[in-house]
Amino acid sequence: MTDPDAALLEELRDMWTTYDPPPAGLVATMIAAVAAAEIDDEWEMLVLVRDSAREETAQVRGLATARVLWFTAAQGWSLEAEIDGDEVRGQLLDLDGDMAAVEVSVETADGRSWSTALDEVGFFALTAETSGSVRFTVRVGDTTSTSRWVAV
Amino acid sequence: MGTMVTMSEDRRAEGQPEQSPWDMASGAFIAWRAGDAGAVDELVVAMTPVLWHVVRAYGHDRQSAEDVIQATWLGFVRLHQTIDDPQAVASWLITSARRGAAAHARTARRASPVQDETLHAVLPDAESAEALAVRDDEASRLWGAVASVDERCRKLLRVVAFMDRPDYHSLSRDLDMPVGSIGPTRARCLAKVRSALMRGGER
Repeated sequence: MTDPDAALLEELRDMWTTYDPPPAGLVATMIAAVAAAEIDDEWEMLVLVRDSAREETAQVRGLATARVLWFTAAQGWSLEAEIDGDEVRGQLLDLDGDMAAVEVSVETADGRSWSTALDEVGFFALTAETSGSVRFTVRVGDTTSTSRWVAV
Repeated sequence: MGTMVTMSEDRRAEGQPEQSPWDMASGAFIAWRAGDAGAVDELVVAMTPVLWHVVRAYGHDRQSAEDVIQATWLGFVRLHQTIDDPQAVASWLITSARRGAAAHARTARRASPVQDETLHAVLPDAESAEALAVRDDEASRLWGAVASVDERCRKLLRVVAFMDRPDYHSLSRDLDMPVGSIGPTRARCLAKVRSALMRGGER
């Protein structure tokens, strides 16, 4: 591009910036939209639907020492996870697709995480030092679904 | 006043070298990916005004332009992992906004084939138009000159004016022009604006 062209293009840019500026609240609206979308993305994609700690039947089922959490994902599958001391076991249910391509992670609030793949029928087991708060992340291909933090 | 202008004025006042919105965008994006949660706000601040001009180039009214820009940002949150080169985040956003604007224009044409609507959209909003009408300065002459060139030129110039490194391949597909003709077309469009300015100056 020749210099006079570059100069004219810059004048045009200034003109549009001055005479057709974005609405006053546009940037703030977009910051809010991005923040809301991030929340959906990071927290709500794996939703805690049942928690044994909130159910009186836990003891009846012989799970006195274990905590069982049930999550559902927007894509339709669900995750059942049992935390018993350092053992975290569970199963992914109703997933259409290759179970071998799925990775399950447990993360603690201090930044440590443990991951494992599923076996062919969707079970997983890993050893993790869960204390304080944990959250689960399930990666299915390119899609990542993360739960909110759950106190254990 | 646009945020971009405000920011560059601030920086000039502080005696710092002016940073382009595209550089600010890649810096903020890199920081955000490295875990700085607040940096995404800086990215939105830097790029939203740029996206506004890109989308308005397609002749959308102000409300539609806002909808297209919001869809662009939501797509960004969903797909940012697919951006391989963080330096290219501005180009990625601009391309995404252009696609959204073009798709919205096709839908809008099907919904209401009223020519006046698209003509109206390229005019400044009422307040600015009034301000322009009473002024006889360089900017109002330039506005008149741009308004007198054909729609395709106007669109090309406005999009190119707000791109850092114009991506001719994606532009050529979106504007339905061969890649090799975009550079010469831009030069021709600028020449049209220049000659319209000269005609206006003689009056």
